Amino acid sequence: MLRTVFLIFQNEFRLLSKDRVGLFMLMLAPVTIIAVAGFSLGDIYSQPGDHAYTIPVVDQDHGAIAAAIIDALKREPSIAVAEAAGIDQASGIVITRDRAPLAILIPPGTTEAIRAGRPARIILYVDPAKRLEVTAIEVRLGELCRTITTASLDLARKKIAADGAALHSRLDRLANGLKLLQSQIERFGEQAAHAQADTRRALKARMANAVREIELQTKAAVASSIVQTKSALATELGARRDAMEAVSQYLIRLQSTEREFDRWLAALKAAAGSHAVDIPEPPGFPEPPSKAQLAELSKPIELSIAQPVLPAPVVPEFGIKSLPTAPRMPGRDLLSEMQTLPPSAILPGDLGWGERAVAGGDLRVNAFDQYVPGFGITFLLIAMLMGLSLGLIDDRDWGTLQRLRVSSAPLGGILTGKLLSRFLIGLVQLILLFVAGWLLFGVSLGRDPILLLIPATAISFAAAAFALVIASLARTHDSVMPIGAVVSMAMSAIGGCWWPLDFEPHWMRVIALWLPTTWTMRAFNDLTMRGLGASTVLRSSAIAAGLGVIYLIAGFIGASRQYR
Amino acid sequence: MAARRIIVEAIGLRKSFGARLVLDDLNLTVNAGEVIGLLGPNGAGKTTTLLILTTLLKPDAGEIRIAGASGPANVGDFRRKLGYVPQSIALYPSLSALQNLELFARVHGINQPQARADSMRVLEEVSLASRAHDAVSTLSGGMKRRLNLACGMVHGPEILMLDEPTAGVDPQSREHIMLTVRKAADAGVSVVYSTHYMEEVERLCDRVLLIDHGRQVAEGTVAEVIAVGGTHPRMEITLQEKLPPDWWVGLDGAKELGLPVGDGKMALQLASLAQVGDVLERVRARGGRVIEFSVHSPSLSDAFMALTGHALRETDQGTH
Repeated sequence: MLRTVFLIFQNEFRLLSKDRVGLFMLMLAPVTIIAVAGFSLGDIYSQPGDHAYTIPVVDQDHGAIAAAIIDALKREPSIAVAEAAGIDQASGIVITRDRAPLAILIPPGTTEAIRAGRPARIILYVDPAKRLEVTAIEVRLGELCRTITTASLDLARKKIAADGAALHSRLDRLANGLKLLQSQIERFGEQAAHAQADTRRALKARMANAVREIELQTKAAVASSIVQTKSALATELGARRDAMEAVSQYLIRLQSTEREFDRWLAALKAAAGSHAVDIPEPPGFPEPPSKAQLAELSKPIELSIAQPVLPAPVVPEFGIKSLPTAPRMPGRDLLSEMQTLPPSAILPGDLGWGERAVAGGDLRVNAFDQYVPGFGITFLLIAMLMGLSLGLIDDRDWGTLQRLRVSSAPLGGILTGKLLSRFLIGLVQLILLFVAGWLLFGVSLGRDPILLLIPATAISFAAAAFALVIASLARTHDSVMPIGAVVSMAMSAIGGCWWPLDFEPHWMRVIALWLPTTWTMRAFNDLTMRGLGASTVLRSSAIAAGLGVIYLIAGFIGASRQYR
Repeated sequence: MAARRIIVEAIGLRKSFGARLVLDDLNLTVNAGEVIGLLGPNGAGKTTTLLILTTLLKPDAGEIRIAGASGPANVGDFRRKLGYVPQSIALYPSLSALQNLELFARVHGINQPQARADSMRVLEEVSLASRAHDAVSTLSGGMKRRLNLACGMVHGPEILMLDEPTAGVDPQSREHIMLTVRKAADAGVSVVYSTHYMEEVERLCDRVLLIDHGRQVAEGTVAEVIAVGGTHPRMEITLQEKLPPDWWVGLDGAKELGLPVGDGKMALQLASLAQVGDVLERVRARGGRVIEFSVHSPSLSDAFMALTGHALRETDQGTH
């Protein structure tokens, strides 16, 4: 088995060395197509071509902004400005000339609008048949408009800065005046504080004397009033004292009478014995005090209190020392100067963008960074079809396969030998294409060119297995290329080998997930365009190789039936 | 005579491709040192028989016995002793003659130096030594056929299976090929030789197997097969004037063959070659004049026609 694998492996290289068409398809054809694609489609990657685009410009503004736009367009190396009298002439240029995708109309009033701070628009007359070129030019015009707007804003900022400097000077003067005023006010405040303290002390002394005098007068008045009140109270309480005496006497008598009555009653009861019932009425009690006396007792005391005659307060008079002269307020000149200050002007910030590579790699994109791996994979697939699929069918048709098998070489060994040799040839092909791309077109080889071997190995393996599948599907030599070429071209296109994957609709990108070309291109882009490292490409390459394993199993099953 | 050793034996082979039956109950024994011819028209099943004998193709029914044993156990050993020359030019056209030979020698397990020596030897045998380093694509058709044969012999096989090895070659190359095969057979190599050329079988083969539409028509030595066909000498005669229809009646065993041989021309089947003089005498006796005549001894082709009712090759029809 191993002997068969080795001999077939060796023989495939020998066959390839004699196969001029095969060698052409391995190297010259892909380099040619890569060169054609890279040079012709390089503009998609913002790479100006050798020949400038002709852009007709109709200036109806005739202002400074229009002049700035035309001047900026003329400075753009990839643009040749053709000044047109009217839009009809400009449209004619766009329709009839090559590389003239659009015309620019600068409407009247553009400069005025921009100076007045109003938005202004230039109008692009585009040729729909030159959509890609239009897009490329629009990108440049977008940058141009941004540049002009930024320049205008810069001018405005400079003027504002000059006005601001003048204002700052005037404000400085105003601040100095205010500073002087502030110091005067401070001195005035200090003098006022001293005066206030002196006045407070004088007032306090005078107030104390006045209070003391009023206190003496009030005490005298109150004493006099108390004497008068006491006299009136004594008079008032005399009658009540008599009444109280009468009531007291009555109560004494009543007490005596009660004791007599008790004695009498006891004697009576003793005397009566069985004739108690015959006891006469008890003696009566003394008369109570009269109602008038009692009323007198309950009558409220009407006491007239003599109101003291209080002295009228006399506010002491105190003299205040003369205050300092109030500071003079800013003069009319300063106020008027403040009134004439320019209104505050705040321009909105200039919102632009700056590009940085997402993974920190080189931002500059070379179209060949896309096309060298892209067409390299495409031609790898085609070379596999020619080398392995056609080779296997030729072996069957010529009878060499039968002859090999009669020699007891196992079919598995023959297939393995062919796969291994073609895998290695494919790997070498990709390596040489990258070297050629680097030498001829300056493609990036990433941070570590050795890492390119990872996806290159994966796709070479998957492509060899894919060719085996085609060899088992195609019944004849003539059906290999129609089937194989269509499938491999579709795999390349959908897998992003010919254009960025993001150009494709969603459903196509879903299909692309099942193609090894997609994952290999992703890995190559990660290495060359994004400048990423090994960890990011291992997963993509593993998926590509995994799909290759599926192809290999299907290919072996199919080929063992087809070539048994 | 001692019984020869059986190399390979086919018993009751039956094979169909889809609905098409290509072999039906075919039996064949290949003995050591024997040359067996498989003779039959195109599409008779010769190639299928050979492929089954090489063990590349499995029969639907029947079996292949290698050295008296059935089963796959000794297939590998058998294949290593086998030289197969397919009907197509089974060569890599971009490689040189020597490179082709070395490859097939080495695949048979021969080391590089020996493969080189063996390759040069067989190139000498097929008279291509001077073209050893030329690409196959630059060789003539006959040279390619000779190289094709050489590739089947480079490893010194014990049994050689040749599938129409002289198809489409010039007479010189055909002669060369036949001499080479004869030489191998004389050296003790068993040969199974498939062809639709009767002459090649008659010259080369010890035994012949006639096949038609996948069926075994006859088997044996050339003489045995002709005898089985029951064929007689045939005489074609062209007369100047037309004779009465029954002018030949009375010649013992003779009868007219209704073959389309042309105006004024007729074919008679004779009982033996001795009747040729009687026929010419009868024409003269009837007042006729013979312009020309030809006599054909019975051949495999005649036997084939007798046995199958049609010619071995399209061009054989009515011309022999």
